[in-house]
Amino acid sequence: MTTSIFDTDRENQWCPGCGNFAILAAMKQAFEDQNLKPRDILLVGGIGQAGKTPHYLACNMLHGLHGRALPMATGAKLANHHLNVVVSSGDGDCYGEGGNHFLAAIRRNLDITLLVHNNQVYGLTKGQSSPTTDLAMGTKLTPGGPTSTPLNPLALALTAGAGFVARGFSGAGEQLAGLIQEAMNFRGFAMIDIFQPCVSFNKINTHLWYKERVKDLGDTGHDPTDLPQALAVAMTEPGTQIPTGVLYRKPGVPFQDRFTVLKDKALTDYPFAGDQINDILSGI
Amino acid sequence: MGNDITILIGGKAGQGIQTIGAILAGICHDAGLFVFSTDDFQSRIRGGHSFHLLRVGSRPLSAPSIRPDILVAIDENTYDIHREKLMSSGIAILNKNGGNDGDSKGNIYRVPLQDLAAEAGGKIASNTVAAGVVAAVMGAGLDRVRAVIESRFEAKGEKVQTLNLAAVEKGYGQGRDICFQSPFSFDGEKSPDHVVMAGAKAAALGALAADCRFFPFYPMSPGTGIVTEVAANLGKLPVVMEQAEDEIAAVNMAIGASYAGIRSLVATSGGGFSLMVEGLGLSGITETPMVIINAQRPGPATGLATRTAQADLLFSIHASQDEFPRFVFAPGSVLDTFKTVKRAVMLSEKYQVPAIVLMDQYLTDSARTETNDFVVGDEHHSYIQDTEMYQGETYHRYKITEDGVSPRCLPCTPHALVRVAGNEHTPDGLPSEEPLNRVAMVDKRFVKLPAMTRELRLPSVFCNNSSFFLTGWGSSKGCIMEACLHLREEGIDAGWIIFEDLWPLDAQGLKDMLTGKRLIMVEGNATSQLGTLIRTLTGIEYLAAILKYDGRPIYPEYIVERVKDIQAN
Repeated sequence: MTTSIFDTDRENQWCPGCGNFAILAAMKQAFEDQNLKPRDILLVGGIGQAGKTPHYLACNMLHGLHGRALPMATGAKLANHHLNVVVSSGDGDCYGEGGNHFLAAIRRNLDITLLVHNNQVYGLTKGQSSPTTDLAMGTKLTPGGPTSTPLNPLALALTAGAGFVARGFSGAGEQLAGLIQEAMNFRGFAMIDIFQPCVSFNKINTHLWYKERVKDLGDTGHDPTDLPQALAVAMTEPGTQIPTGVLYRKPGVPFQDRFTVLKDKALTDYPFAGDQINDILSGI
Repeated sequence: MGNDITILIGGKAGQGIQTIGAILAGICHDAGLFVFSTDDFQSRIRGGHSFHLLRVGSRPLSAPSIRPDILVAIDENTYDIHREKLMSSGIAILNKNGGNDGDSKGNIYRVPLQDLAAEAGGKIASNTVAAGVVAAVMGAGLDRVRAVIESRFEAKGEKVQTLNLAAVEKGYGQGRDICFQSPFSFDGEKSPDHVVMAGAKAAALGALAADCRFFPFYPMSPGTGIVTEVAANLGKLPVVMEQAEDEIAAVNMAIGASYAGIRSLVATSGGGFSLMVEGLGLSGITETPMVIINAQRPGPATGLATRTAQADLLFSIHASQDEFPRFVFAPGSVLDTFKTVKRAVMLSEKYQVPAIVLMDQYLTDSARTETNDFVVGDEHHSYIQDTEMYQGETYHRYKITEDGVSPRCLPCTPHALVRVAGNEHTPDGLPSEEPLNRVAMVDKRFVKLPAMTRELRLPSVFCNNSSFFLTGWGSSKGCIMEACLHLREEGIDAGWIIFEDLWPLDAQGLKDMLTGKRLIMVEGNATSQLGTLIRTLTGIEYLAAILKYDGRPIYPEYIVERVKDIQAN
């Protein structure tokens, strides 16, 4: 295994064979390919196996509550919009507990990169169904399968107005590293839903199951500026084929540009406005 | 004794009764008189019954009164609802166009507000007519009245200004014919040392003066008024507001921004605060400064949305699972609110702990004459340690220090890696389940407590040798003080003990202070939460409790009556 300036000495807690290892490696590669240093990046983690990803990367780290990574990232980004923010979340964290925040972050066009490690199951809490679990998959708590229809995160993101929507696969590391780099360079909300196997709790959507179905959109002539086309790709029945790559890419006005006060500089770069506040107080 | 009267203006939501009060308060303030106003309103935008209480005095006021000398009924219900409370020497002014037919007789005067407004140029100005009537009754000169109208409607253009000047004169002409026993002298001048302000604005200004720059919010009465006052200054200051998708998002945004170096404050009410509780714990374990203002209202759940309460004291001290140090404050006046919010922001930064400021609907909405001590102090001073920022990977966000406070750096500026986690963590911020580390980290957070306790003030005591003490906290301060002075005038040996700094308290100091004193608790809750806290900390039992949980303020008159009941038994 190659070494990286982003390595940490923390013992990795993921199960052997977990798809997260490949995602972690792709993140390091994407960071290195951009010549970034650990100090240049702020990783924000949710809770779950995916949320642990920042523990294994030597970067700035903000690791908060289950489902709340995006609001924390929103606050950090408003405080200092020069921060290069990457959020590591999972299907349960982002689409379940944090679903409201996911929609709100898209509508804000929050200028961050969101990586959703989607293994279609709750890994850290031992195999309960997630918002993306297939109806046919029985779990200990839902033996007859989940009682809710699986969510289509890509279609949801597209219809909510996300500017950069991509699908990755942990088994396609080079492609994933490229997608992460592209997402980080996109000005605005950029999300990659990354399919990955959960070797411990998802016996249906295995590495092999994904591998047989993934198809790189780059080989299909897909036009990522065409929203109806992107939606059609997003609606592809996952049981048959899983298109990977950039589904849609259209820059809009990023969140920080919607605040006049942030036009010139970051909020952190302003000195204390004592004189102006004194003016306000003397005018009361 | 100086002159002291109360005006009650009642009507339906949407009829603009607060506008009448604001005009009158402006006229009085310009003449150097003291005002104290409160609003009583329902959770609706139109209809129902609302009233505005305006008390005016020739000497400083610290509380409202519920016994009006002048009752202004804009609609047909107001007089019936409030007639029992009208002072025997008082007068009622009824809107003849508002369902109050009949002629003036006795102390009841009927004035056709809409008709007079129409004569002035538009029915829309009927509230201004009402203000003119009352201003004349109170004894204000027409020039003063005109000056307030001119300035109030200046921004709305000449047409609106002219209409309202004509309307106020119509009302004034009617008011001159009304006989009132307690007119004021309006010969005085506005004092530069005084300002009329409500608690919501004071909280907003306090936050800004302490260099808060980020205000994520989710609307909830009565907390919304605070961020609304922040919004009034957008464009003049480096400040960002963001309407969050819910209170959970708001509190997590505040923590994210604070981590990145911006002082952040969220204002909400009990229900929103309940949603923020997990975030409060995150602020606690990540040692990320943050201030939450909980403008209390009766609950639980939706409770009474537009009413007032003091029932979140113990909740605020204990909110969140497990244990961590925090500050809890409850300012007692509008000026105290400004100063307390500044202090809360500063102390939260200094000790890297969350701070909670308890206000309530009564305090946020009531405007009063205050000493103009609204100034920028030292609270904006930064505690971020620049020297640490160059330390690269050797920087540890949770370095164990003697006082528990670790040097704080900001992410990406320029070399130090700043890692924080809501998981228990080692000094470098990375998660750890190691038992000795866990103990070390809990101890590290709690070692701040003695210094935090020293920052806080014990309650204020009045008449230290009194036979009993009216004991309360926060917004009811002024009502308790006024009730106490009233009792003393009647020869009843009452004192007061009022808490504004609530957590962490110096238990021994408190015990020394309270031992041997007979306490009558005065609180806006049903179980005497402060009394419970005092007993828990000191073992001292209170003598009796005056508890009011009807959603309305604890008026001084109510306290006086209840003290007499207690004495009679």
